[in-house]
Amino acid sequence: MIKEHKESRLKEEVLHVISFMLNERQVTCKIKSSTVLLDLIRDHFSLKGTKPGCYEGECGACTVLINEAPVNSCLYLAVNANGKNITTIEGLVKSDGTLHPVQESLIEHGAIQCGFCTSGMAMSIKALMNQYENAQHVPGDIRIEIPTRNEIKKYLEGNLCRCTGYVKIIDAAEQLFAKEDQ
Amino acid sequence: MKKEYKVIGKPIPKQDANIRVTGKAIYGHDILLPGMLYGAILRTEHPSAIIESIDVSEAIQLPGVHCVITADDVDVNNIGYKRDHPILKKGEANCTRDEIAAVAADTKEIAQQALRLIKVNYRIRKGVYDAFEALDESAPQINKFISGKFENKNIAEKFHYEHGNLEEEKKKSKHIVSRRFTLPRMTHACMATSNITASFNNIDKKLLLYSSTQVPFLYQRDMAHALKMNPSDIRVIQPVIGGGFGSKLDMHPFEPICALLSIKTGRPVQIIYSREEEFIASPIRQPMVIDLTAGVDKDGNFTFREINIIKDNGAYTSWGATTPFVIMQAFSSLYKVKACRFDAKAVYTNNIFAGSFRGYGNPQATFALERVIDLLAGELGMDKADIRLLNANEKGEVTGQGLHYDTCGHKECLETVIEHSGYRTRSLQNNDKRYKRGIGIASMLHVGGGAKIYRSDGCGTTLKIDPYGYCTIITGSNEIGQGSETVLAMMASEELGIELSKIKVINTDTDVKPWDVGVHASRTSFVAGNSLLGAIRILKEKLNKKAAEFLKTSHFDFDYSDNMIIPVNTKEGIALDKVVREMHFSAPNELAIASFFYEPSSKFQDKDFKGNVSGTYAFAAQAIEVEVDTYTGNVKVLDIYVAQDVGKVLNPLLLGGQIEGGILQGVGYALTEELLMKEGRILNPNFHNYKMLTASDIPDIHFYPVETLDKEGPYGAKGVGEAPLIPTAAAIANAICNALDLDVLDLPIIPEKILTALAEKKGTK
Amino acid sequence: MDFEIINPATTLELLGTINELQSKHFRFGAGYSDLLMELKKKPEENLVVINLSQIKDTAFTGLTISPDHVRMGAMVTAHKIVMNEQLNKDYPVLHQAALTLASTQIRQVATVGGNLCTASPSGDIACALVALIAHCEIMDSTGKTKSIPITDFFLGPRKTVIKKNEFLNGVLVSANNKLSKNIYSAFLKIGTRRSMECSVVSLAYHIQTDDDGDIIHAGVAIGASAPTIRFAKDACDYLIGKRFDHIHQKEKEEFATKVLSYADPITDIRATAWYRKEVLYNLSKSIFE
Ligand SMILES: Cc1cc2nc3c(=O)[nH]c(=O)nc-3n(C[C@H](O)[C@H](O)[C@H](O)COP(=O)(O)OP(=O)(O)OC[C@H]3O[C@@H](n4cnc5c(N)ncnc54)[C@H](O)[C@@H]3O)c2cc1C
Ligand code: FES
Ligand code: FES
Repeated sequence: MIKEHKESRLKEEVLHVISFMLNERQVTCKIKSSTVLLDLIRDHFSLKGTKPGCYEGECGACTVLINEAPVNSCLYLAVNANGKNITTIEGLVKSDGTLHPVQESLIEHGAIQCGFCTSGMAMSIKALMNQYENAQHVPGDIRIEIPTRNEIKKYLEGNLCRCTGYVKIIDAAEQLFAKEDQ
Repeated sequence: MKKEYKVIGKPIPKQDANIRVTGKAIYGHDILLPGMLYGAILRTEHPSAIIESIDVSEAIQLPGVHCVITADDVDVNNIGYKRDHPILKKGEANCTRDEIAAVAADTKEIAQQALRLIKVNYRIRKGVYDAFEALDESAPQINKFISGKFENKNIAEKFHYEHGNLEEEKKKSKHIVSRRFTLPRMTHACMATSNITASFNNIDKKLLLYSSTQVPFLYQRDMAHALKMNPSDIRVIQPVIGGGFGSKLDMHPFEPICALLSIKTGRPVQIIYSREEEFIASPIRQPMVIDLTAGVDKDGNFTFREINIIKDNGAYTSWGATTPFVIMQAFSSLYKVKACRFDAKAVYTNNIFAGSFRGYGNPQATFALERVIDLLAGELGMDKADIRLLNANEKGEVTGQGLHYDTCGHKECLETVIEHSGYRTRSLQNNDKRYKRGIGIASMLHVGGGAKIYRSDGCGTTLKIDPYGYCTIITGSNEIGQGSETVLAMMASEELGIELSKIKVINTDTDVKPWDVGVHASRTSFVAGNSLLGAIRILKEKLNKKAAEFLKTSHFDFDYSDNMIIPVNTKEGIALDKVVREMHFSAPNELAIASFFYEPSSKFQDKDFKGNVSGTYAFAAQAIEVEVDTYTGNVKVLDIYVAQDVGKVLNPLLLGGQIEGGILQGVGYALTEELLMKEGRILNPNFHNYKMLTASDIPDIHFYPVETLDKEGPYGAKGVGEAPLIPTAAAIANAICNALDLDVLDLPIIPEKILTALAEKKGTK
Repeated sequence: MDFEIINPATTLELLGTINELQSKHFRFGAGYSDLLMELKKKPEENLVVINLSQIKDTAFTGLTISPDHVRMGAMVTAHKIVMNEQLNKDYPVLHQAALTLASTQIRQVATVGGNLCTASPSGDIACALVALIAHCEIMDSTGKTKSIPITDFFLGPRKTVIKKNEFLNGVLVSANNKLSKNIYSAFLKIGTRRSMECSVVSLAYHIQTDDDGDIIHAGVAIGASAPTIRFAKDACDYLIGKRFDHIHQKEKEEFATKVLSYADPITDIRATAWYRKEVLYNLSKSIFE
């Protein structure tokens, strides 16, 4: 059955104006109350590097950094992005095309197969680096030592990968901290 | 003597890793075509029901909806390996995946809303959810499209195989062990959900599909059959694929449905599964019940194996029904065994239908076989490692089924893991009251050079070098994340002396690339590799001739390195790009292009399933140590020692990734993963309750490649992709039995099963 | 999933919003890790969500540790608990519960308030707080607060004592006993994998001993074993006065039996009631091993 004429649906909706830093650029947009950050990033800003794996907070493919911390963008209301500083996988690369050390390390260690989990993994590893660096300055916080291999595994628990068995991803992360130590 | 290579054998990262790690790779989810609509599928509410009526009138009225289709609106053929699967269901629903109607709308939300407006009247009927019940005379016929070729109306496919004199071998047996094993539904759970974008051009009547199939040419043919089109009017382009593992071997109904929506609307249409839909409506590993009886003589030699398998086919038949090809190989030919009788039936039920999954039946077979070997060793009082070494396969062996082991690393793999795991020297300190340790061994045999299950198991390659010295490999094979592209580029680099950054691999477009049967049976590096090497040989003949002419020499022995062609034993050569320009632009003006089609030497098996079905065979062994918490039943896998006969390591980095990834899937199969079903419905269609392992669950994996340099394989290599997960569940089960003195017969071995078994042993349950 | 959202910026604005919406259907949203999943599964018509996550008042967002107690605003995240060194030292059970909750990413957003108000029988932070005999600080729309013991907070699965004009403002945990010399405190969470698990069974305990090793305080709570998280009072009382490292086999069993008497588990796809009880019994014993 084919529809003869079509109109598009126009329901009255309250829109919220939000503005935030996206990959170091100030952006402003209008959104619905229930829009999640993942859809905003992918559909409105066309940043397709952040991946939708489940929309349930279970797989971590959609991980982005909000004020440097890793968050599942599929369960994060875009409204709450207002005023925040958000980094996606696209924001890790310098404008001249230089990759971030996290990305270099993942490549070098052969940590990428199908790659669908990779953006989320890279963001989580970057977040661990942030946490480690910040912990040097925040009094009362626990970690100031280099994360151990087991701590890296624990940190990446929210990022599922079906291809690699995680070993090379963990190797890639470990190496980054080994470098920092020097 | 080992040959030194410049590129082959080096740990080179995947060539497109930089694209993937920066988020620039374009997956099906990322495609956005002008004017594109969003498709969605209404599935049945009941796994078994008569569909009395479907009313789409309200849905079609919804603003933003362009088209709604049901079985009545389309003129199509059935799909599936047995053509027993209607794309849209008419009159009855037979499993929870069944597609009843589909819509195309301006947005995803409108499409979903439209689905909710479709009214279907069902008359619920009692379904058959157990394969044994389905075999009962009183059971209804579940699939109406099957020809009735077999003795029972619900048998979809059946296999019988035998070799040797079973009765005689039974008599010679000192011990005989019989067990029934039950294997669960496991699903691929690729990180990217299934997707397709179809774009029908109603001016020239050509259909363009962005599809993540792993067998584009078979797919093109199947799609054409389904839609009653000419295959060549269908162009299949593969976007970057977010995981395959066998799930994309069959064409599934959503794919022709998407094409139909595009044909009806004249607009591009995209369908992307939600995660829940992925769990409900994508294929699974074949669930089955295996009855295995096996014997051993007084010295520990295996005498016979008798196997009876009932596989739950689900409501429709996919390629998965052919897994007994592989299963029977494990039983007939893994370890020497004098006699074997094998029967397998795939039985229709109202459950979700099974598909193909990495390992293709072999993890199930190996689990049963390797468990029984432990039991036989126990009966004999023989060491579990010794009995395996005694019966291990050997180079030069031709098995009862007719497989030729021209190279064979079986024994070496076993010896390697036995040694490195410290199996013989370790003492498992099991004094602890709560935590008990155990170690288990298992091995496997799998095709290592493709498998001839289609008329051809071949692959075509066209190779070209341009006037700037860049090389383009147009290969029939494709990349689903496993890194085959990189391996091909490495081969070209090795042979032509061109650096990797100047090599491009084109493999995503059926309008461009030559024929290939597709990614399956761990065949890509082997078959596509040989195909490429064939093309290189031809191209080099042309280049050599031109180079000789240019250098005014008469001998044709050249080294290709650093973008130069250099006569052997001299220093002065000529730049490759220069030779190509010479070829192109001076008489007789020839292109630097070569094409080659490689067909492996393997044979189509005869009607008794005998014959050398693969170009070569891969072997592997694993020894796994576990620690079981007897308070909770949780199993911690401590160390996995893996040795695999890979022929030759082409790229240790990519190989390691295949091994580790495969093993973790195997651990999941052993311990945590199961799609739970009740009365035909899936109870856990989400990552929360379908338990894939996380980074914090992984054991230490110790990998020892065994190189046997197969003369058929490129540089001696064999297929590697499927092997790593095949023996894992078996070895883990053996380790758990070793730790707790249990007799594990089912997977997955979840904590509750362990506590139950312990309680039953103690008599407290 | 469709709703309107209102974003109060202060507690005062929040009170006003709650008052205004009394005749409407509304829900609170904190970290949304439960709420969005719930609304996706079961969309609610004409729903207004009051967004708590833009409120800046420290009483609502802060974590303060004073000599008498620890106070956590309702918006304190699991991550914040995990990172706090003092909590890790004084209340390992709370640290561990927060650390086993979901994943690194979810812990960034998941709040104490959300974990309590969702009233899931398998809530991890909630279970630890029950073992710590925390008090819930509830505020009504006039700004009045009351404090109730956490054991009175849960009424059933997904049901709490919070009324339509109320919300959870914060949680208080008393300081450890001044005489306390040693603390035996842990959160035992059982599932099939080591991460991303919703507890199949959980056991939270916080036991303090004096100079002689005699138990002077005991808090034991069980999760995923009954319609709500339960405080195993008899089991706790039983321990008082016993030497922690001298509890013999019979006593362990008696203790475990007492813990088990609070369990009334269900059979679901994750485990049977039998399994849950078996494990709970074993874990209870394991505290002293
Ligand atoms: C993938 C995943 C894994 C999870 N794993 C775990 C786990 O391991 N352990 C565990 O315990 N939980 C788990 N959860 C559940 C959830 O993350 C926690 O319960 C979390 O603490 C909820 O906090 P929130 O801030 O996100 O709550 P929200 O989702 O924002 O709110 C939850 C409920 O509480 C109400 N609410 C929130 N704050 C207040 C307040 N101040 N006053 C009154 N009502 C309020 C809301 O209206 C809502 O009904 C998991 C969730 C996901 C998605
Ligand atoms: S898409 Fe967000 S966690 Fe899976
Ligand atoms: S690389 Fe495929 S899911 Fe991780």
